Amino acid sequence: MSTLRRRTVLGGALAPFAMGAAPAVHAQSGGKPYNGTTINCSCFQTTYYEYLKNYFPEFQEKTGIRVNFTMQAFPVYNQRTDLELSTKGSAIDACNITFIYSGRWIGAGWFTPLDPFLKDSKHTPADWDPDDFVSGAQSQMKNAKGETFAFTHEAGAMLNIASRYDLIEKAGLKMPETFDDLIKVCDAVDGKDNVKAFVADKLHHWNWIPYLMGNGGNVFKDPPANLTPTFASPEGIASADWYANLLMKYGPDGQLSYSDDQAMRAQMSGRANMRTQAITWGVPLVKDPESKVAKTTRFGLMPAGPKGNFPGSNSHGLGIPAGSRKKEAAWEFIKWALSKEMIARIVDKHGYPSVCRTSVIKSPKFKEVMTLNGQDLAAMYLEVLQLGGQTGYMKYRTVPVYPQVGDKINRAIDKIATKQQAAPEAMKQAQAEAIQDLKKAGFKVDG
Amino acid sequence: MRGATDVRRPLTQPLPLAGERRRNRFFILCVAPSLAVLAIITLLPALYLLATSFTPLNLTRPETAWDFSDPLISYRQLLTDDRLGNSIWVQVKLSFWTVTLQLLIGVALALLLNVKTRLLEALRTVYLIPMVLPPIVVAIIWKVIYTPDISPMHGIFRSLGWTVPALITDPHWALTSIIIADTWEWFPFTMLMVLAALQMLPQELLDAAKVDGASPWQLTRHVTLPFIQGVLLVAGLFRSIDSIKAFPLIYILTDGGPGSLTEVTNYYSFLQAFNFSYLGFSSAITVVLLAATIVLSWVIIRAVGWGVRVD
Repeated sequence: MSTLRRRTVLGGALAPFAMGAAPAVHAQSGGKPYNGTTINCSCFQTTYYEYLKNYFPEFQEKTGIRVNFTMQAFPVYNQRTDLELSTKGSAIDACNITFIYSGRWIGAGWFTPLDPFLKDSKHTPADWDPDDFVSGAQSQMKNAKGETFAFTHEAGAMLNIASRYDLIEKAGLKMPETFDDLIKVCDAVDGKDNVKAFVADKLHHWNWIPYLMGNGGNVFKDPPANLTPTFASPEGIASADWYANLLMKYGPDGQLSYSDDQAMRAQMSGRANMRTQAITWGVPLVKDPESKVAKTTRFGLMPAGPKGNFPGSNSHGLGIPAGSRKKEAAWEFIKWALSKEMIARIVDKHGYPSVCRTSVIKSPKFKEVMTLNGQDLAAMYLEVLQLGGQTGYMKYRTVPVYPQVGDKINRAIDKIATKQQAAPEAMKQAQAEAIQDLKKAGFKVDG
Repeated sequence: MRGATDVRRPLTQPLPLAGERRRNRFFILCVAPSLAVLAIITLLPALYLLATSFTPLNLTRPETAWDFSDPLISYRQLLTDDRLGNSIWVQVKLSFWTVTLQLLIGVALALLLNVKTRLLEALRTVYLIPMVLPPIVVAIIWKVIYTPDISPMHGIFRSLGWTVPALITDPHWALTSIIIADTWEWFPFTMLMVLAALQMLPQELLDAAKVDGASPWQLTRHVTLPFIQGVLLVAGLFRSIDSIKAFPLIYILTDGGPGSLTEVTNYYSFLQAFNFSYLGFSSAITVVLLAATIVLSWVIIRAVGWGVRVD
């Protein structure tokens, strides 16, 4: 009792001093309520945050928040973050939501809805303008109820990138607009000047899908509502066979093991000509000082199939894990990192190409940065992103089970390309395995 | 004081029963902390692995974490998983060829290098380099060797006018390319062990055999090989167990492909756990793999024995 009394007395005696000290502490922090706060953020290796890191001291000066930002290689980041998020721990305060994992991470409740921050003018001023983010890119960062869990910092729009357009011109042809044109061009230029006509990296479940859809096939019956796999349909089998032939007949030897970077290097060094891939991998062909094809690189839209044009598009966004204990500070960081002003600065200063804010994409500076060899890439980029947002054909990719199903597709295309199995056999086996996996994950499939 | 008396007691003289019990208790007390630490760092994770294998744990569905309602579900799924069956067969082929080649090359080189000259002693050190390199570095070295555009090996072949396909993406060569890289990395281990054993081989045995008129082949066949039999068994056992853990080479070189041609069981288990989040299913695979490794080790030891004592 005596101790309690002493504490009460001491508390009472110190209270006026403490109350008086509070404003002093606030004054010491220079009006920065987050002074002394450190937040941990992470992402896979991406140029946006490499550039942004240079401005972290400005953010700390403005808000008092110190940012501890780590980046890892793409697969390493995804694996580590998947595990970390599943624990709902507080180790990460803001991190990237990877496109392919967005359905799974958001669906599992591992991220914080950002709508309360957006609706509260104390946290978000009106001119921050969340509607300025491209709808196609942003749609992957929402759940079925329309709640937003991240804002996008990087978008990928698939184009046809020809590193040796001069060879195509010399053959009297132009950038292919259809799948048939693509084969015609490949036939005409393959091997000329020791350059293979086509190259792709090993991620078939990204690269092949536009060809599948262009032929009238789809990965699932009606994603995300019905995830019954349909990629072994007659259209799917024919398309897989066609694509495997494209790889083996016109691609460099060993490309089945190529990473994104290796495929880009093959183009950059002038060993391979065309590649249908995200714009991020095409811009360095013109801008990288090591590139031998800077003057001969040209861009075109993804060739269309008989059933239409379905260029791949994706986006990666910055969100707040559900377990973070510093959500408000994390939101301050997201707000700053993805503000119009900051993105415009990164474009202006570093020529960043994968922007997701419409106002920046339409700005004269972005157009200037993205006019490469006389071509307006900004317009092509926006066209592809909007295409994905309008028809929603990219929804197949953000379903929670896509990593499993994509793995089956990768292996099936490999088997067809290396003639281990014929296309019907390989695709049917892959589809059966995908169904088995979906059931394992607790999803219902038709039949 | 009794302790002091005991210390002075000749080692051959048995302790009285009570003293022996006290000594055993003391030994147990000494070892107990180590055993406790060992139990925490090895036994507990193993028990957790076993428990997880009886759940359908999926990281994206937290409710599956301690769901023991159908404890054999993952094991039933194992039985119907063709890709797992394929991975076991790939594992058998990989283990058989890598261990066999490592033993043969290791023994051959150890016999050749078992001579005391400065040159050969330097060579021994050179041969050890692959084994001491970090496995990921070994994998990157071989990735360079196997990638046609940048490979010195392919460059030589091209200059000779030979067309050699990219080995890691060729279905006829993919597994062989892993076997070659793994053998290169680990034959020094066998060589080192055999070399150490050879240096303990009593010269009198060889001299006696020579006096009896034994040829070099007979010396090797009837004296040297029986002497190193135990070491070979241990080396083979270590390498067999280690071959089941083959991972970096496959991860970097082939990603289990083309198709599933180089997908071994532990790589398949890794994919299930860390790419697809099926931790329950992956744990079941690992438990089976662990059991198979223990059985395999026991069978080998029973079949071959621990070697012949020649002293």
